[in-house]
Amino acid sequence: MTPDPNPQSPDPLLLFDAASKWYGPVLGLNQVTLELRGGITGLVGANGAGKSTLIRLATGQIRPTLGRVSVRGLDAWDWRARRLVGYCPDVDNFYEDQSGREFVHTMARLSGFGRHDATRRTDALLERVDMSDRADRKLRGYSKGMRQRIKLAQALLTEPALLVLDEPLAGIDPVGRQELLELFRALASQGTGLLVSSHELEELEKLTNHVAVMARGRIAAVGTLQQIRDRLNDYPMSVRIEVAGAKQVAKTLLDSDDVTAVRLESATAIVVTATHPQRFFAAFGELVIAESLDVRSLEPLDDSAHAILGYVLGGSGKT
Amino acid sequence: MNEVSDSLLRYRSWRGTLQSPVWGSWAMARLSVAQMARRKLFWGLYALALMIFFFFFYGQYLVVWIQLQTAQQTVLFGGVPVKVGELTKFLDRLNLNGSAQTFANFIWFQGYIVMIVLALAGAVLVGNDFQYGSLPYYLGKPIARRHYILGKFLGVGLFVNILTTLPALILFVQAGLLYDWEVYYVDHLRQLIGIFGYGLFLTTALSLLLVASAVLVRRTVPLIMLWSGVFVLCRTLANLLVDGARLDGAWRLIDLWNNLYLAGLWCLGADLGDMKREQPEVWQAIAVIASVCLLCLVYLRKRVQAVEVIS
Repeated sequence: MTPDPNPQSPDPLLLFDAASKWYGPVLGLNQVTLELRGGITGLVGANGAGKSTLIRLATGQIRPTLGRVSVRGLDAWDWRARRLVGYCPDVDNFYEDQSGREFVHTMARLSGFGRHDATRRTDALLERVDMSDRADRKLRGYSKGMRQRIKLAQALLTEPALLVLDEPLAGIDPVGRQELLELFRALASQGTGLLVSSHELEELEKLTNHVAVMARGRIAAVGTLQQIRDRLNDYPMSVRIEVAGAKQVAKTLLDSDDVTAVRLESATAIVVTATHPQRFFAAFGELVIAESLDVRSLEPLDDSAHAILGYVLGGSGKT
Repeated sequence: MNEVSDSLLRYRSWRGTLQSPVWGSWAMARLSVAQMARRKLFWGLYALALMIFFFFFYGQYLVVWIQLQTAQQTVLFGGVPVKVGELTKFLDRLNLNGSAQTFANFIWFQGYIVMIVLALAGAVLVGNDFQYGSLPYYLGKPIARRHYILGKFLGVGLFVNILTTLPALILFVQAGLLYDWEVYYVDHLRQLIGIFGYGLFLTTALSLLLVASAVLVRRTVPLIMLWSGVFVLCRTLANLLVDGARLDGAWRLIDLWNNLYLAGLWCLGADLGDMKREQPEVWQAIAVIASVCLLCLVYLRKRVQAVEVIS
């Protein structure tokens, strides 16, 4: 089994087709249409935005009330679809008196591996997540990071085409994070599609800049951070520019239609607020050439994931 | 980071065919039995179950030995000469003679242990999956909801049979060896089938009831209270109504364990006419068991269909 048995399939890896989910009177997911074809996609949003519902639908844990969710054309609810999906939940409630190896082995048997295959597969994956030497300890003695690795190992058992990770970096130390990020990138490079839900925006930015932003049960925005930022015309971008003759440059920039404000920080630094960032950067580039400006640095102040999320979600960006 | 990169280089992807999800159910069943075996608290109860088995095992042997060797001999008991056969009269009540009553009585006594263990273990086996949210690990795997239910059902069933049907079969084999085995095994074929039948009744009813009640209440203490209500309170009430208030024997139908016993006796081909206490008809008892099973199935199906198995 390869990560994706049919990578050339015209069916998307994951497709939400106008999917809605009601929990009694509460609407968990509202008419979501989303298509993933591979790579790493970050899933971000405030608590209660619908991330967990979306993940549960994608992994076939629950069924949409309306619409359809499919994995490579198979209904996500169908157990066959789950051979293509690896799921690493955010909860880590295992049978605590099992060892890590026993747990992964049990999950392998549950996935349909024969005894010998399950043993071989368990060993291979424990090595892959760097847990071979600690796998025979009881789960109750595991740290948060070790639990995350074990969860990841069980999610990779069937060589899934789509790996869904719910808060995979929570509680892991910086070194461990770096190792896991490296592993995620390696998996993506081998053809596994990753859907990563995380509150750790800085870490998520290191992993991918393709995100789906959720708010109130809907997909508020999807694309690269830059694409999303460019569409936020209602939110002017702030850019800090270090340039010789800052006062004169400020005066020139104020004549531009896209510049709404310029603040002089010092004799060599200004903060420009501009609408239509792309148009502003193009115009500023021409100005630098035409006036032979001595630009020492140019630093967008609010195109971080935090800032963009803040704009999209209409809040602080805190997720 | 280097370690991960190294392991990635060494990593061999898997190529093969996965088995049917029914094997996943079997894996869950084995896990359930392993979980029961790991709890040290339960080993006291298992020891008790083993004692009951040994009591019947050596009891059968003792009865045959007394009958053949020493029944007419006398021993001094408190200075008074008493026939050995008289001393072992109390064993007659248990029918330790390889008859249908022998196996029915054995399973009846083992049933107490089974019920106590299941009441204690229900939360571990099923309730915790719902209570602490470990269900996504199961349902994230390529199995359907029915395979999950089947796995839990098999797990409980396996445990019930290890404590009841399996030792009853050993007693059957032993009884055949104590008497004329060629004649015994042929003449008592009905009992052999009956042991399996009784086991099937127990397995189906107790497994469904445990899974359904554990899904409903999830935690150990409420589960124990629920099972005490079903198997102790209802039984006491049935005795009070039928034996105390002299109401119709049909009132004993509220005693599920008694219904299972009656169904077991029917399977074993025992004579139900010589029962000392007033009892309902066997078909009524079986109808009640079937109704309880049906109710459990409907409830579980409803939970699965509503999908909020994961709450």
